[in-house]
Amino acid sequence: MLRKVLIANRGEIAVRVIRACRELGIEAVAVHSEADANALHVRLADRAVCIGPAPSAESYLNVPAIIAAAEISGADSIHPGYGFLSENAEFADICGQCGLSFIGPTPSNMKQWGEKVPARALARSLGIPLLPGTKVLSGPDHAVREAEKIGYPVILKASAGGGGRGMKIVRDSATLHRVFPQAQAEAVAGFKNGDLYLERFVEEPRHIEFQIIADGDGDARVLGERECSIQRRHQKLLEEAPSVAVTQEMRADVGATIKRAMKESGYTSAGTLEFLLDERGHLYFMEMNTRIQVEHPVTEEVTGVDLVVEQIRIAGGEGLSIPADREIPTRGHSIECRINAEDPETFAPWPGLITEFHPPGGAGVRVDGGVYGGWRVPSHYDSLLLKLITHGASRPEAIAKMERALRETLIGGIRTNVPLHLEIIRNEDFRSGRLSTKFLERLRGSRAA
Amino acid sequence: MEIDIKQIRELMKAMKQLGVNELELEGNEQRIFMRRGQGVPMGPTTVVQTGPASVMPPAAPTPAVAITPAAVPKTEAKDDPKATFITSPFVGTFYTAPSPDSAPFVSVGDTIAVGSVLCIVEAMKLMNEIESEISGKILEILVENGKAVEYGDNLFKVTKS
Repeated sequence: MLRKVLIANRGEIAVRVIRACRELGIEAVAVHSEADANALHVRLADRAVCIGPAPSAESYLNVPAIIAAAEISGADSIHPGYGFLSENAEFADICGQCGLSFIGPTPSNMKQWGEKVPARALARSLGIPLLPGTKVLSGPDHAVREAEKIGYPVILKASAGGGGRGMKIVRDSATLHRVFPQAQAEAVAGFKNGDLYLERFVEEPRHIEFQIIADGDGDARVLGERECSIQRRHQKLLEEAPSVAVTQEMRADVGATIKRAMKESGYTSAGTLEFLLDERGHLYFMEMNTRIQVEHPVTEEVTGVDLVVEQIRIAGGEGLSIPADREIPTRGHSIECRINAEDPETFAPWPGLITEFHPPGGAGVRVDGGVYGGWRVPSHYDSLLLKLITHGASRPEAIAKMERALRETLIGGIRTNVPLHLEIIRNEDFRSGRLSTKFLERLRGSRAA
Repeated sequence: MEIDIKQIRELMKAMKQLGVNELELEGNEQRIFMRRGQGVPMGPTTVVQTGPASVMPPAAPTPAVAITPAAVPKTEAKDDPKATFITSPFVGTFYTAPSPDSAPFVSVGDTIAVGSVLCIVEAMKLMNEIESEISGKILEILVENGKAVEYGDNLFKVTKS
């Protein structure tokens, strides 16, 4: 088992990993920028090392500083969290070379599954259903030829892109010819890689993703799906498990295919396969995230599996603690709301001093947070403050708990998106399970303001 | 910037009375952080003029590295207004000399120029030579040879010339 984990991250996920370490009796080392000197993860860790000034490039993305921090603190492993260096194959490789266990997939897993075009090819070869789409396009003429085969509307995407960036929806050939060079330039600017590909565009999809966890030694489990259709500019806002639109048959069918694929490709640790679900109930693979995800708690709530603990166990050579030969049944329903420091109307980020903080509680309410009253939210990082997660025996119960919990939540001194979440949770379409990635757009559109 | 010794003394008394181990006060642009006990010297930077006090509950024992307050990289020393600190730009192990058998790069009282090599901070077998960005004189060497340093840790107290 690992002895001392350095968490190469900040905020709520750093706190999350520290908690798992504590429960396993493992020491936790926090790293932080100067802006995070008094952050919650620093206060909770057994040891904290300042690795740089506020800008992420000089701190949380500063590989030499992080490795040096592991060296001086005596850590034997690194958990990268999500974002930052979590899907950086070179970093995972460097950790290995420096004798540090990287708590996550292997560099090879990341290279295979991390870039969308090779991942699609790999998924296809393993029998995972895909949206009709192309490999890397050689130019606008090639793009138009392919688009006419697939059928409009299509979406032009950067192979190295993510988080909703570098994507353009195109409805006809003239437009495609025109935007192709623009899209290429944006891809180079954003991701240092101008490779583009095309896919069929589904107008009203649901975003469905499957959680997997594997020990890298032949044991891979699929822990059900999450629905993450409520997004703003491709950033998820609210997630739930299971999805009302996925039947037991679909779940078993795709689940078996994914499980086989993970075993065959030698995947290790946690990962998520993202799909679109179209109006006809077909699932299409989009991409794989080779890391633990923000919304992992909803899966934990319905399966009883602690994913971060399993990751740490796997990295320490212990294997999964989930009993073998047993498909994990899911119990009840879970919802997560991402509470961000932002204006609920304009989405403008709102850093500043949290003057009062009172998180909700009670049965079925879980708070995964990285803040406390008196802490100044810095302006240099993403706006996620905490995740509010509820679990109930049914979806209506999980919703009722979430509404109650949101109403109890007090975060003073800054603006947060709690009012927006209340609006979503009270919305009739949401309550009826009528979701798609257009949900938030519709919600905003129908408002008086 | 004024340091109100009386206010600091009152705070120290209050902390002792209430059994508070850590105290942090924040005003508009200034903040004070005080920690009691465990042999760690108090490190007030500047006094808060206004602002609500947020008293932390007694901290759980943290034997290792103390939480670094969000300090400005170069702080003014109380006793010499021209004194300043040279801080570590790297995480690693601090060495005063180029090798175990050599003389140290600098000693207390030495004059330094821009570009003078002051020490080495080593990480992953890479010896990073730290060069001075100022000219002046070494007043104090604040870290023991062979000890670990973090980004921003004070290495040398110097006066600028």
